[in-house]
Amino acid sequence: MTEQQLSGARLAVLRSRIDGIARKMSNAVLRAGRSGVLNRAKDLSCAIVTPGCDLLSAADSLPIHVLSGPDLMARVMHDFHPVLRAGDAFLHNSPYHGCSHAADHTILVPVIDETGVHRFTVMVKAHQADIGDSAPTTYFAGARDVYEEGALIFPAVKIQEDYVTNEDIVRMCRARIRVPDQWHGDFLAMVGAARTGEKELLSLGRELGWDVLEAFSRQWLDYGQRRVETAIAALPAGEASGQSTHDPMPGTPAEGVTIKASVKIDPEARRILVDLRDNIDVLPCGLNVSEACARTAALIGVFNSLGADIPKNAGSLSRVEVLIRENSVAGGGQHPVSFSVATTNIADRIVAAVQIAMGVLCPSAGIAEVGSVNPPHKGVISGNDPITGHPFINQLFLGSTGGPGSAHGDAWLTYSHAGNGGLCFVDSIEMAELHHPIRVLSRQLLIDTEGAGRFCGAPSLEVELGPKGGDVEIAYISDGVINPAQGTQHGGPGGRADQAKREASGQITALPPIGRLLLHPGEAVVSTGAGGGGFGDPHQRDPRLVARDVRDRRISTERAAVVYGVALDDFLQIDAARTAQFRAKGPR
Amino acid sequence: MWFASDTGGTFTDLVVEDEGKWSSYKAPTVAADPVRGVMDALQLAADDRGLSLDQLLGKGEVFIHATTHAINAVLTGNTARTALLTTAGHPDVLLLREGGRPDPFDFLTPFPDPYIPRRLVFEVDERIDADAAVFRALDEESFALTAAKLRDAEVEAVAVCLLWSVINPVHELRVGELLDKYLPGVPYTLSHRLNPAPREFRRASAAAIDASLKPMMTHYLGSLTNRLMDAGFGGRVLVVTSQGGVMDAAEVALAPIHVVNSGPSMAPVAGRAYVGLESDTPADVVIADTGGTTFDVSVVRDGRIPLTRELWIGTPIVGHLTGFPSVDVRSVGAGGGSLAAVDAGGVLHVGPQSAGAYPGPACYGRGGTKPTLTDAAVLLGYLDADYFLGGTMSLDVPAANAAMTILADELGMSVAQTAASVVELATETMTQAILDITVKQGIDPANAVLVGGGGAAGMNIVFIARRLGCKTVVIPETGATLSAAGALISNLTTDYRRTGYMALSQFSSERANVLIEGLETQCQHFADGPGAGALSVTYAYTAEARYADQAWEIEVELPTRRFNGPDDVAAFVNAFHREHERLYAFSDHGSDIEIVNWRVGVSCRLREPQPERLEMKAARDRPAAPRNIILPNGEAHEALVYDWSLLPEGMVLNGPAVVESPFTTVIIDKARFQRSAAGSLIIELEE
Repeated sequence: MTEQQLSGARLAVLRSRIDGIARKMSNAVLRAGRSGVLNRAKDLSCAIVTPGCDLLSAADSLPIHVLSGPDLMARVMHDFHPVLRAGDAFLHNSPYHGCSHAADHTILVPVIDETGVHRFTVMVKAHQADIGDSAPTTYFAGARDVYEEGALIFPAVKIQEDYVTNEDIVRMCRARIRVPDQWHGDFLAMVGAARTGEKELLSLGRELGWDVLEAFSRQWLDYGQRRVETAIAALPAGEASGQSTHDPMPGTPAEGVTIKASVKIDPEARRILVDLRDNIDVLPCGLNVSEACARTAALIGVFNSLGADIPKNAGSLSRVEVLIRENSVAGGGQHPVSFSVATTNIADRIVAAVQIAMGVLCPSAGIAEVGSVNPPHKGVISGNDPITGHPFINQLFLGSTGGPGSAHGDAWLTYSHAGNGGLCFVDSIEMAELHHPIRVLSRQLLIDTEGAGRFCGAPSLEVELGPKGGDVEIAYISDGVINPAQGTQHGGPGGRADQAKREASGQITALPPIGRLLLHPGEAVVSTGAGGGGFGDPHQRDPRLVARDVRDRRISTERAAVVYGVALDDFLQIDAARTAQFRAKGPR
Repeated sequence: MWFASDTGGTFTDLVVEDEGKWSSYKAPTVAADPVRGVMDALQLAADDRGLSLDQLLGKGEVFIHATTHAINAVLTGNTARTALLTTAGHPDVLLLREGGRPDPFDFLTPFPDPYIPRRLVFEVDERIDADAAVFRALDEESFALTAAKLRDAEVEAVAVCLLWSVINPVHELRVGELLDKYLPGVPYTLSHRLNPAPREFRRASAAAIDASLKPMMTHYLGSLTNRLMDAGFGGRVLVVTSQGGVMDAAEVALAPIHVVNSGPSMAPVAGRAYVGLESDTPADVVIADTGGTTFDVSVVRDGRIPLTRELWIGTPIVGHLTGFPSVDVRSVGAGGGSLAAVDAGGVLHVGPQSAGAYPGPACYGRGGTKPTLTDAAVLLGYLDADYFLGGTMSLDVPAANAAMTILADELGMSVAQTAASVVELATETMTQAILDITVKQGIDPANAVLVGGGGAAGMNIVFIARRLGCKTVVIPETGATLSAAGALISNLTTDYRRTGYMALSQFSSERANVLIEGLETQCQHFADGPGAGALSVTYAYTAEARYADQAWEIEVELPTRRFNGPDDVAAFVNAFHREHERLYAFSDHGSDIEIVNWRVGVSCRLREPQPERLEMKAARDRPAAPRNIILPNGEAHEALVYDWSLLPEGMVLNGPAVVESPFTTVIIDKARFQRSAAGSLIIELEE
């Protein structure tokens, strides 16, 4: 039977229906989930994958969760469970089998029709507040290996059969995961959402016919491929490299971890090659990047420059090849290496290295480096509630900036981090204080910390918080204290991260960039997140924007003059003559 | 005589109630002077009766006004120079917002500017804790210096949002007194009074928007009232609120955020009433209002019109979040003017870009060359080119054809197939908008009644119903002026809310009852004041609650007005589980429940809630010939053309058919339809 050819109009309608199902799933988890990391921060993704394990739709998902990963995880599900039946569901969080990192619990449900044919696989992935690590954190940078990390690992484990949950596994989780009710609430929300996706796809198949949906899958992937090929064909040919350095931490070389990427654009072959092989070996700590995250990070670095309207599916992604060296920190590690922090720190540096190389090759689509994470105000907080005595654990999302300046304009301020692209929500201070025994004393942007440029990177955000009524512990791992986000095309670096403790006496003590900080009432942590890099020569920035930023106390008059070459008078109006003089001297 | 007007982007609608009969009018909106459009519509009503304007207005008892004036001011930034006062250490609350981004790969959409720029944000040295304790007392000396800066900055309005003012308002209240002292006459908004709910960004945003609208809305509503008075009106002027009720104009001027979504909030009020006329069995209702550029959806669930705190002015994420409880209306960029285009990979798109009113669709003949949904409708026979809008305008078919041909060539399809695809894709976009709101409100659209409103609804409302699996479509006879019709039957309403955080595991009935009683007393004052003389007064009691550690609350009706013992608490727990189950398809009986906010609302009925019959005019002066129409699935039919005003009530007819009125055209596929005794067009889709 020949496959029917769907028109461009039909493709559009079916795309909308499939994306609608992915969105409905994501909405279901978001609203019903329990942990703050899930329902306040929206650290979750939903995807639909073909029976051939090709990513079809991931509407409304975090980039780092889905560009690569759903494909790898679905394949492992097939390999481990060759016979799939309606009613099956699998719990998967194994970074050794395609998951991003162990904290991203994932539910996979094969969608099987009435005749027993496997039609799609739906995936719901959500970052957990706790996964049973040996320390109260889901970002365990200090873990030498998975044993020290201590996460429970589920390599596509069958958690439901005939739509009934295997309570043995649930009890195992409850015995190891801190605040088990919270985990269980999230688990139920995820399974519910996956089942919603299954139901919707089955009814879509019945309504339209599976042959139509199969034709759609193929042709939608072809469409993605066509779109990306057109985009690549318009790029200049060439090869360039970029690099970005993660700060040194226990378990890394003393100079930190420099990530190198080379990017080759071949417009004629309509193909981009990203080579991550020239990177150091895996490290005896939790900073290693899993295969899924390394591939995804490289893809993010490329697709950020290709335009938002190209669909992210297996078709478009297939035109970007990512080379990874076995045993390398960038995607080459094997069990029992720890990937605890795989989605953020070094992965963000991979995005940066690729993005910088892309900017060298096509300056008109260039993007500076995104500010790094995770400062203490985005750390994992735990303790006992001083009123109820109940234990609590959650990731804080008190905000991060970090957005990069780009060829298109100033930063998206609340970018969060490179792998996230700004999708995460930010905790309200009042909600954070209602849920945790803390007081957030201040949260504000720091003056003169933006990545200067023709288009600016986001300034640093500083948050000061302390416990209220009892002790709390905050586990954090803050990159960017030494190596700020780089600017590009003569743009300046973003503000550095920093952390310090304000003692009860008021005295300020510097803190290491990685730690488990115990705070007593009266003490506080002063936590600064990294800013984003700037794009282009600051002397080319519109002086009116510089003046506006000075009036808004984002930058000082000194910085306006020295960095941007813009002179302002006592009333903060532009002094055109002196500005022309400053700028005549040329770029800094 | 009662009047209700709704000022839209293109037309100003007017519905007049005159001795138990309604009549409706449309006049062009005058953007520079919205009151002019209202006066023009009133003049049409006067002419229709052979009266002068002052004779007509002299008979007027009540004038109800829905306005886009406030929302337009916010969208264009044409508001007062407003300062924001925040707790020290938190000056960036309006800039940081709540995160999120429309698309993680989109570097073209700029980050939104804060509603109030940092140069007009001033920090107040004070801090209240989550448990209501004063952590840092208000420093009145430093506040005096801040007040001086406010004067120097020549601010015209002030918004005040201090952390935890909803738990302990002492500092906000004192700041209000100090503003009265240092900046007498400058209007201000205290966040805990306007929008008492935790989440400081939403409170700050609501306060900022409200304060910034005060000077201009005071002026606008004053001018509206004066011009009505000058023209001979001596009755009461009411304004439609985003909460689905009406308020006295003078009250609105004191809290103008109430009217930011003034018109769209009335569509569900009208939809509920019209569906109620058709059946005694309560049904969930989905109301779809199709305009030129946007498609607005609202719902009625269990007879109630749900509110949301997530009302965005402009596009979600990049617009401004009001954070203020408002009728849940979702908009997508799909309407008659939506542009159709093919992308580089050969896939069709319809909207969100719109041809707008000028040049408008190609068939308007005003120079538009790009194909729109309206052009597709003309080419498919849905609209009569020689008799558009009751013959007030003719359409340029060759222009529509030329525009669609370019698209057809790109798609490799015929012009008719292309036009049908444009309608199908627009239908899909609109369907997704309905699915989005219904899933969030726990409504199964297949079991809901779909109400079509707005002049362009008839083009594809039946196709939307097919896609949703809806069995019944109702198009009210006032459908083209649905919001104005809703305004005419809406109640004088207000809400009082308070934050009162309590987990049910540590529940104090006494504390809850004191809270509820306080809110109820406020409602009674309202009923005795503005509501005096109402036909009836009803109270609504709700709590915003969630399972322990959930992030978002849901609003649950209290089964009893007071908690008198464990049975009442148990009844509430059950009501909460039921509502959660309905919204999210599960409940968790093992979990504690936390109540965050309390609300008592009061609704004063000003007139009978049923719509009166409309004096409907004939669409044409002689019967129209059958028309060839092409359905989105490609089927061609010869359809009879019926004049709505001449359809005998209760006679069941079969499609394919076209039903026309002077304001709208309804395309019916094979469905059965009739004009009901209440005058609505009822379309039954069951095979």
